[in-house]
Amino acid sequence: MTGQREPAVGRRLPLIDGIEKVSGRAIYTADLPAHALVGRILRSPYSHAELLGVETDAARALPGVIAVITGADCDKTFGVLPITMDEYPLARERLRYRGEPVAAVAAVDEETAERALALIQLKVRELPAYYSAAAARAPDAVRLHDKRAGNVLREVHDEFGDTAAGFACADLVREARFRYAEVAHGQIEPHAALAEYDAERERLTLHSVTQVPYYVHLMLAHCLDIEESRIRVVKPFIGGGFGARVEPLNFEIIAALLARAARGTVRLNLSREETFLTHRGRPETGIHLKLGMTRDGRLTAAACDTVQRGGAYSSYGIVTILYGGALLHGIYDIPAVKYDGCRVFTNTPPCGAMRGHGSVDARHAFESLLDTMAAELGLDPFAVRRANLLTTPTKTANGIVVNSYGLPECLDRVQNASGWRQRKGRLPPGRGLGMACSHYVSGAASPIHRTGEPHAVVELRLDFDGGITILSGAADIGQGSSTVLVQTVAEIVGVDLGRLRVISADSAVTPKDNGSYSSRVTFMVGNAAIDAAEKLRDLLLAAAARRLASRADLIERVGERFRVSGAEGPGLTFREVAAAALAEGGSITVKGTFTVPIEYQGGKHRGGAVGATMAFSYAAQVVEVEIDPDTGMVRVEKVWVAHDCGRAINPLAVEGQVQGSVWMGMAQALGEETRYEDGLPLHASLLGYPIPTIVESPPIEVHIVECLDPNGPFGAKEASEGSLAGFLPAVTNAVADAIGLRMTELPITPDRILEALARKRRERRIAAARETVA
Amino acid sequence: MSELPSFELIRAASVSDVAAARRGHLDCRLLAGGTDLIANLRRGIGGPTALVDITGLPGMRDIAAEPDGIRIGAGVTLARLIEDPLIRCRFPALADAAATVAGPAHRTSATIGGNLCLDTRCVFYNESEWWRKSNEFCLKHRGTVCHVAPTGNRCHAAYSGDIAPVLLVLGASVELAGDGGTRWIALDELFREDGAAHLALGADEVLLSVRLPVEPGLLAGYEKARFRGAIDFPLAGVAVSLRQADGMLTVLRIALTGTNSRPLLVSDCEALIGRPLDASALRQIDRLVQKQAAPMRTTIIPAHYRRRVASALACRLAARLFAEA
Repeated sequence: MTGQREPAVGRRLPLIDGIEKVSGRAIYTADLPAHALVGRILRSPYSHAELLGVETDAARALPGVIAVITGADCDKTFGVLPITMDEYPLARERLRYRGEPVAAVAAVDEETAERALALIQLKVRELPAYYSAAAARAPDAVRLHDKRAGNVLREVHDEFGDTAAGFACADLVREARFRYAEVAHGQIEPHAALAEYDAERERLTLHSVTQVPYYVHLMLAHCLDIEESRIRVVKPFIGGGFGARVEPLNFEIIAALLARAARGTVRLNLSREETFLTHRGRPETGIHLKLGMTRDGRLTAAACDTVQRGGAYSSYGIVTILYGGALLHGIYDIPAVKYDGCRVFTNTPPCGAMRGHGSVDARHAFESLLDTMAAELGLDPFAVRRANLLTTPTKTANGIVVNSYGLPECLDRVQNASGWRQRKGRLPPGRGLGMACSHYVSGAASPIHRTGEPHAVVELRLDFDGGITILSGAADIGQGSSTVLVQTVAEIVGVDLGRLRVISADSAVTPKDNGSYSSRVTFMVGNAAIDAAEKLRDLLLAAAARRLASRADLIERVGERFRVSGAEGPGLTFREVAAAALAEGGSITVKGTFTVPIEYQGGKHRGGAVGATMAFSYAAQVVEVEIDPDTGMVRVEKVWVAHDCGRAINPLAVEGQVQGSVWMGMAQALGEETRYEDGLPLHASLLGYPIPTIVESPPIEVHIVECLDPNGPFGAKEASEGSLAGFLPAVTNAVADAIGLRMTELPITPDRILEALARKRRERRIAAARETVA
Repeated sequence: MSELPSFELIRAASVSDVAAARRGHLDCRLLAGGTDLIANLRRGIGGPTALVDITGLPGMRDIAAEPDGIRIGAGVTLARLIEDPLIRCRFPALADAAATVAGPAHRTSATIGGNLCLDTRCVFYNESEWWRKSNEFCLKHRGTVCHVAPTGNRCHAAYSGDIAPVLLVLGASVELAGDGGTRWIALDELFREDGAAHLALGADEVLLSVRLPVEPGLLAGYEKARFRGAIDFPLAGVAVSLRQADGMLTVLRIALTGTNSRPLLVSDCEALIGRPLDASALRQIDRLVQKQAAPMRTTIIPAHYRRRVASALACRLAARLFAEA
């Protein structure tokens, strides 16, 4: 082959592990072949109780039971944030939610394990339980955690700029209350872990469904009190993450504890219900938002008060409540922003991170009120947003640098594509158009553990076979991180994609990575991969130069061939150059790293690290709906979404991720909601938790906007989260357009729509009656 | 959901095989498509020592044209109901209703008999063993209190089959076989308003077939309110059949599902016979349905929504059929 290679970056390459998934060959954690004992967890039937005793003798005596463990087997607490490790793998002294693990058994089969669970007796003294943030904050409420006064995990009070002055100079000030149901990730693969304990050598191998193998590794070492070197953590194929698995989870540690107690291998496959009980989704949230605006649509101030029902343990709670304030910034130019946040403990499963972490509910409130005020001022929704655009580069009031800002182009693209100017206000009854914007971080700039190490490391290995192995700790959870790595390395080293393979997320062979969360992987691991690939490329160029008796800077590459620039002849093949390079000292391993510079790690205020990032993605979307006035059903007819992801390293994968984000936003907006009956989940099945089916899925037209970021790999930013938050306000804005209802409680289930319609009719009747009287 | 408990699977080739199996296993359950039963067994609801597969009984899989109607074996799958030319031609509403049940994969094994005999459903009942035990079980299974109406003395679990309402408004009868031979009863008599015992089947009886009479000029339809466009059980389902002559109603039947512990044939529709289906008639239908539908807190979506949507769908469907007639 002659001529230029097709660039690897920008190519619509199907995900490199897609074939295994669509053909059913992929081996997921629950499928791993192993001669394993069956693990089962006994879960608390109480919402809140003192745990006085766990009687396990009968269970231990049952033939076929190999191990029974309780809180007595582990006195270490765990948690993803070092400052809030407040959870025991198995409860000790206190039960804080229905479904909390209390004991676990390993047995020869499931039936025996179930029978053993039934033989375990709990001795408790029940305590008052709180299922809402308000109840838990009541002055006389019992504390869930002794050190947490008022059942508050964290209060945040930030003000940037002078909001009082901002409201004073506004022509229009409006405020509104919003309520958002708690939602869960609903990843299709239920939780599972396979723990193998080598009792003779005291070594543990854990395969798990995690997005963060490294954090799991740390917590296994901590809870089992063994050194990290004796542990290996592997992430096999994974059936969805969405944030459900961005922290070490109790079942992973329980599996390891069980394996050690059984001195063998234990498989712990959780049911769908147990997966829902493990939770860590988006919290139930109340928001009171106030905005000030001038007559021409310029924002003068924003004040946002947020209360989150966090559940029984901290998880990522501090981050979530801080994100809610931090992500009010970075999308529009707002002179003054005040944020008051409160994260509350309740007797429900712990909440944590979920796709769009921290940004989603607040974005809905903001974009809803923005639309309401624009309408009052007679401004078009697009115009009011354009009136508040950032000028970049800039530093936000809370200290985040914004270098790239594709929002203006996103607005243009969806306004044109949707025919907004021609169609808005001219649709038949029951139909409406709405729009909204959103943004998200491309990786949290500060790592959770400040070890001083680089934020990302990638290794490349070249050996006699001419293949390049990419070693990365990054967990591909379906978002396509391994594919991005292949395209990145192929682009820089200048080789065919077929030469590359990825080995990822196996602590025995891959370098540590912080994990797949906060949309950090493309940005950080991608930059580390570029660094590594450049080193390998330079080694190859130097080897080629030696063979060709030239200088490295004179070597040019055509396809996979290396030759001296301007010289005649075929030059060298990649294999010849690789052989020359290997001749120097055998197999070659190079390492690339990436660390976020300190100036991007956020403002100096308390909590300023949360929300800080090197680059934001931006998105705008238009949603068209039709509402059935008889049933209250909202049908999404079409979505036009434009997403600024910087350079689209793989446009096909970007489109998939953007569609997934929009779709997940749709699910939260229209129907998904966790509901508890005295702390028992009513939703813990795929019937009770109505994830949309393909029948409800609208066409989602994706427009990629490439506003290159100077710090991103090839200019790339995140593509998997930023389009989620915008859907929620876009759809409720469309509902407002269609039937004049401003929905402030999500999800907008058909019963809520009918109720709101009835309320509106009542109000009209009362108003009419008043007029008649007058 | 957990793995299935152990049980013996008995394949019955005749009604007497069923009787024998029942004598040998007093706790046995009849199995056709299994789409309802298996899910409940996996939740730990019941642990029968045997399941009796009745799909091999004579005639169970047959759809037969009769001089004045059609006879459908109880083991005919919903997927086949949707495709069958005879059904589509004579009773398209039945095919339409079948197409609203669950998803395509379920419908390839789910049967018409199984759908008619579908267990009643409730958020306090269709839960795991751990869940129900944590809630001290319920009146329908192992408990003493109906959590939906704790002061009452009956179970309020809701009937949620999609097929029964259409068959009711089409005037179906069902064939039951038991120790004393076979008997035919009107479909309406198969059900009782009791969530814990909604089927009026004798302990020795098995549902063999459904017969639908042909009523010339009768139009029927089914509308289902559900959250998603697939998979979900009805929040409320409404079947209507009607006939008109010279702009006046000569037949009007309305049946509901998802609102009561049984599929409900709405009574007093006769009052509308001889009248046009005008705005006042629609208001009357609205009142009849709202009065007779008795949804309780058995679903996540509130009961008052189900009542309202049942009447809205009844009016809409009746108006559409009247316009077509």
